[in-house]
Amino acid sequence: MRTDRAEDVALAAPGVILLLAFFLPIAQMLVLSVAHEPSGRLSAEHFVRFLTDPYFAGVAWRTVRLSLAITLIAAAIGFPLAYIMARVSPTLRLWLIILVVLPLMTSVVVRTFGWMVLLGRGGLIPFTLWKMGFVGRNFTLMQTEAAVIVGMTQVLLPFMTLSILGVVMKIDPRLEEAARTMGCGFLASLRTVVLPLAMPGIVAGSLLVFTLSVSSFITPSLLGGVRLPVLAGSIYEAATKTLEWHFAAAQSVVLLLGVLAVLVPYIRLTRRAHG
Amino acid sequence: MVRGVPASVRAAAWIFVILTLVFVLAPLIVVAGVSVSESQFIVFPPQGFSLRWYEAILSSSTYLAAAWTSLKLAVLVTSTVTGVGAGAAVALHRRRLPLSELLGALFLSPLILPTIIFAIGLLMLWSATFGPVSFMALWIGHSVIALPYVVRTTLAVLADSDPFLEEAARTMGASRWQALVHVILPQCAPGLAAGAFFAFNISFDEAIVALFLRTPSLVTLPIQIYNQLEFSPDPSVAAVSTLMIALTVVLIVAIDRLLGIQRVAA
Repeated sequence: MRTDRAEDVALAAPGVILLLAFFLPIAQMLVLSVAHEPSGRLSAEHFVRFLTDPYFAGVAWRTVRLSLAITLIAAAIGFPLAYIMARVSPTLRLWLIILVVLPLMTSVVVRTFGWMVLLGRGGLIPFTLWKMGFVGRNFTLMQTEAAVIVGMTQVLLPFMTLSILGVVMKIDPRLEEAARTMGCGFLASLRTVVLPLAMPGIVAGSLLVFTLSVSSFITPSLLGGVRLPVLAGSIYEAATKTLEWHFAAAQSVVLLLGVLAVLVPYIRLTRRAHG
Repeated sequence: MVRGVPASVRAAAWIFVILTLVFVLAPLIVVAGVSVSESQFIVFPPQGFSLRWYEAILSSSTYLAAAWTSLKLAVLVTSTVTGVGAGAAVALHRRRLPLSELLGALFLSPLILPTIIFAIGLLMLWSATFGPVSFMALWIGHSVIALPYVVRTTLAVLADSDPFLEEAARTMGASRWQALVHVILPQCAPGLAAGAFFAFNISFDEAIVALFLRTPSLVTLPIQIYNQLEFSPDPSVAAVSTLMIALTVVLIVAIDRLLGIQRVAA
């Protein structure tokens, strides 16, 4: 029995060492965030700076605001998409899953580049809007909040869709049939039967999408530009450009706390769903 | 009488799905289209057809160097996490270790916590301990991120495996080592292979950790693209990007051959 335990420890040990490589950097960051710059004494000055400076309050608010918009749009598209995917044949469903997940598996810089081409000056979307008479000739959607929302929604949609899909697939189709037997129309049965039952999946998906959106850096930075910084962009700036490491650490802790606040309910929700 | 789904709703559903798919795949299609454009400006739809940009990147030393760095890194990371992850998954599967469930959750935690937080922590810890960042820092960073994928896919395969095969082998006189290599490892193999492909894909495409650890001499392919995008890109960026997309597709097909994509998608 003792050698059983020894064998397991030996097998798991390299993994645990690698895990240390994950948790030690996070610990280092926590330590840096509460340390006074040269002396190393405990100090909350970095957090105070973040919370009182209106510029950073604006950054945090923009991050949250954009993420809320992204989450709402992703839910609005993801719910009908998941419902349709749940009700088609298994083969078609598999293909839809692959197509929806494929962009996720490409590099974020590649995807974002694609959006830069589509939304920039002379890109297909401003061009179409110009031809339709909505905007002027030199219109560009780059460096706007709309561009960030569009780009982020595209990449986060699969997370929402798959979350909802898992839940909708467990809804007994006979429940909808029963409602329609009682005289309920198709769309009404969606609203009164499917939607409430799918709600745990929608909530879980929303929490997940919000978390991912709030901590995103590359897509918002490239599509939004320097005049629309998000929290992750501010962290990057402080860590690599202005080299204010303590302040960058404090901002990271703020992000971490925000993410944990959203993730804990998410984990509770999904654990309950899977029993 | 139960009315079926109205035809109008059915039609609307089809249109909705097609529009959504276009939305989801648009950037990838655009990138591929720009890469074969003749024009030296980035335009979509492309003007003309030409492979000149592919020629350009294949003879560009910066792109080739970045590609080599990414490839070296991805191969090293994949080998590391496949070995480490295999051991961890087997130990977790047996559930004999104390705090197995907590340990299992910890192994999956890099998936949940935002990468940017880990990336900045790694930069700070490495700089404070070892000085300037090196290839090794990138190797460790990517390995940490890729490990949960290997552990997860291998655990999933082990969950369906026959628990008594190992016992039978031991009863027949096999040593622990022999049981591991000849019985358990083959049982893990599909999960390990799928995990390895995920790990390779993730490492090759990864941009956040690579961005925080970037130095003029430590540039991966995604970071080289990012560098170009920060200034004024030409369609060669599209050619590199299209090749990266193609690589992803190849890896997905390989994962499917090995594990069946149904298993992975579930």
